Amino acid sequence: MALDGAADDAALVRASQRGDRDAFGILVSRHATSVLSVTTRMLGPTADAEDVAQEAFVAAYKALHGFQFEAKFSTWLYRIAVNKCTDVLRARRPGTVSLDATDEDGVTSWEPADEDTPHRALEQGELAWELDQGIQALPPLYRESFVLRHIEGLGYDEMSTILGVHRDTLKMRVYKARNILCQSLAHLDGVRR
Amino acid sequence: MRDHEMNPAGSDELVQRYLDQELSGDERVQLLVRLGRDHALREHVIDLEKLMLEVRRLPRPMVPDTFVARVMDLTAPTPAAWRRVFDVLWTPHALHWNLAGATAALALLVAGALVSRELFWQRASTPAPAVATALDASAPVLVRLVVVQPDATTVELAGDFNGWDPRRTPLEQTTSGAWAVTIPLEPGRYEYMFVVDGKQWIADPFAVEQSDDGFGSRNAVLDVRSPAEASL
Repeated sequence: MALDGAADDAALVRASQRGDRDAFGILVSRHATSVLSVTTRMLGPTADAEDVAQEAFVAAYKALHGFQFEAKFSTWLYRIAVNKCTDVLRARRPGTVSLDATDEDGVTSWEPADEDTPHRALEQGELAWELDQGIQALPPLYRESFVLRHIEGLGYDEMSTILGVHRDTLKMRVYKARNILCQSLAHLDGVRR
Repeated sequence: MRDHEMNPAGSDELVQRYLDQELSGDERVQLLVRLGRDHALREHVIDLEKLMLEVRRLPRPMVPDTFVARVMDLTAPTPAAWRRVFDVLWTPHALHWNLAGATAALALLVAGALVSRELFWQRASTPAPAVATALDASAPVLVRLVVVQPDATTVELAGDFNGWDPRRTPLEQTTSGAWAVTIPLEPGRYEYMFVVDGKQWIADPFAVEQSDDGFGSRNAVLDVRSPAEASL
């Protein structure tokens, strides 16, 4: 029996594993926004973000036969997307910036990924644009934790499964990311009065 | 920066857990008391709350209309070689011809027939050459294929010999920008292509021969000869 858009992820994954490409198409359609959101916040609104999101789905498709339902499909997909982003970030700045940077100096060593264009600022709104730039200027380890926690709204346990890091460590990274953002956006009325 | 330089011991943790909505009732009271006493801490918490509010208001990215279709294209199974041949053979083709073309084709057929007849008589009148053993003639030959793709993340090989499944034959990066693989092939004629980053199919630029694949692209052609043939 053909599955429709109301089927849950597990049923769609099982159908995809049996070769039902329509089922996989529904999964892609359902999770495209979340995956693209993560890649866009991690890499900046560049063509890379869309390519990497697509690559994440392709990688998921190739590995789907080995998916054992030990985690939710969305958790597994986030993990693939985050790993893809990490690969891109490593390739972008070979030898100059450590992904493991944990000091707040990382704020200044990471330039915004996008050009500061007036058009974009007007289009998105100054505050949102500044916030977006601030997120992309976070050290990558803080950024991925912050994005999963506050952009995607995930809990620390699920984040721990995705990133393979203890939840207490993740809480500390999120905490530091908040403080860094608060400082870097302190000149804006919307964040600091 | 606001001159909030962490307050009495434990305030940081309380604020952090407050933002994560993990405070117990007693802890909430404790935090509220501290906020009432510590102006800097209160301002800091307000800043953080405003930050969280703005983060929640950030727009979600728009998924391009072509996104899903593109993913489905990228994950579409590659047709097997026999299927490609079958499709080419059974797809209807319109044959356009004129008198000049027909005359040229006829001339080629006649020339081909004459050459074949000549070769047949020549072979019949020549003593049989020393023939390598059957084992030698069909023994696999190690073939090394190299392509330069400095910007590639992965390079794979697809061809007649692996069912046109690139995942079965990945190349390894050797020197800067060069990718190579060594595969055992029985003597014969093979068509193949490289697959760059899992999506870009390219013919081997170093191939001595290429052929039309019937889909508007050209495959590289590899002629593998047995050692016995090669020495003739």
